[in-house]
Amino acid sequence: MLKPERLIDESGVRVDGRRPDELRPIKMEVGILDKSDGSAYVEFGGTKVVAAVFGPREAHPRHLALPDRAILNCRYHMTSFSVEERKPLGMTRREVELSKVIREALETVTFLEEFPRASIDVYIEVVQADGGTRTTGLTAASLALADAGIPMADLVAAVAVGKVDGQLILDLCDVEDKYGEADMPVAMAPRFNSIVLLQLNGRMTVDEFKRGLALAQKGIAEIYRLQREALKKKFSEFTPAEE
Amino acid sequence: MPIYFSEHEVVLPGQLLSDNGKRSGEGTYTLGGKIYAAQIGFATIKNNKVTVIAFKAAYKPMPGDRVIGIISDVRPNGFEVDLGRHLTGIIRIPDREEVKSMKLKVGDVVYVKIRESGLSGVIIDRGSRIRKIESGLLIQLHPSKIPRLVGRRGSMINVIKKLTGCDILVGKNGYVVVNGPSPESEFAAMKAIRMIEREAHTSGLTERIERYLRELLGK
Repeated sequence: MLKPERLIDESGVRVDGRRPDELRPIKMEVGILDKSDGSAYVEFGGTKVVAAVFGPREAHPRHLALPDRAILNCRYHMTSFSVEERKPLGMTRREVELSKVIREALETVTFLEEFPRASIDVYIEVVQADGGTRTTGLTAASLALADAGIPMADLVAAVAVGKVDGQLILDLCDVEDKYGEADMPVAMAPRFNSIVLLQLNGRMTVDEFKRGLALAQKGIAEIYRLQREALKKKFSEFTPAEE
Repeated sequence: MPIYFSEHEVVLPGQLLSDNGKRSGEGTYTLGGKIYAAQIGFATIKNNKVTVIAFKAAYKPMPGDRVIGIISDVRPNGFEVDLGRHLTGIIRIPDREEVKSMKLKVGDVVYVKIRESGLSGVIIDRGSRIRKIESGLLIQLHPSKIPRLVGRRGSMINVIKKLTGCDILVGKNGYVVVNGPSPESEFAAMKAIRMIEREAHTSGLTERIERYLRELLGK
């Protein structure tokens, strides 16, 4: 995609018509797959992600199993058709890194010590990429974990903030990410206001960083609300068992 | 004690349930003296403890639980039992001759009781009988559906047993063995069990299962 002349105009309207502090249209659905223990589909505008969770199940290979807690495996992967130019199969350097940071973010909220010697496997598949895939993936993965019944301290909600043409913006799309001045994905466990993932690409002043974090927090609060709504919707038809 | 939920409200991970951290039960955790939900389920007070009855949860072995397993290894000092999913149970027998005399082979299905479960693994009680299951259909369900399959004081399982004439053994770990007089009755029982698995969260299921089985068996 070519660089647009400007990423934000003087009245504060971005390339896709949003205000600087506006999220993209978000869609969330929980429990979309039958074969996995938990699953979720999350859409942030053009970014579409499916996440599936298996486990707790036997850890493979066996020597990786830990005696006092479960291991959390995470695979973030982009399908070859998710980007404009075909992405070759297999894990690229970037995907390996994102798998690691997503795993570390999820490890902070899951009670892994409940399942010694087991493994919990999280698969995140990016169906279409339009910026913010790691944050969308993390949002979907935490929904899938909750759907699978894994004990968790809180859900994880994530969003990116960035800077284009000197202005702070929320929830970057692909063009803003590519041609902007900074991109900062933030993931939080909103209940305890704790940050579980924070990366920064590009440059921001200290003041911009602080304002950016506040902006991200505002977006995360909204995403958290949508996550809870999606989970409640799936389980609303449940009635107490006749035990 | 102040509580922040209504009886049988659907709660989500991270939701504040109570200020009294000493009364935290299953499906919850405490942080800073407060109780939060750890799983999706119905919040309720059980035995004076705030608990969450999870909709979906992995099986956690408890002492005294009766489970069905498959022998996965025979060793000089005992057996290893596959309890489905991530769990492996151990039967410890100090006497080698006794191991031989039990005549259990890899692949045999056994009905056993759990004695102890913790960091040392799942230990199977040798005092109560280790029952080898000779025949029947082995079905695996999600362990969270087992309470529904049994029903209140066995109401659901008794309906299936009565109508099909099958003997049904239920392991809390999610394995079920159906043993019946004819293949038709066994398949009918299996179909009913699969229907319970699919519709576990709906109400009035016992009546529907009864109707379904009568239709299936032409009674």
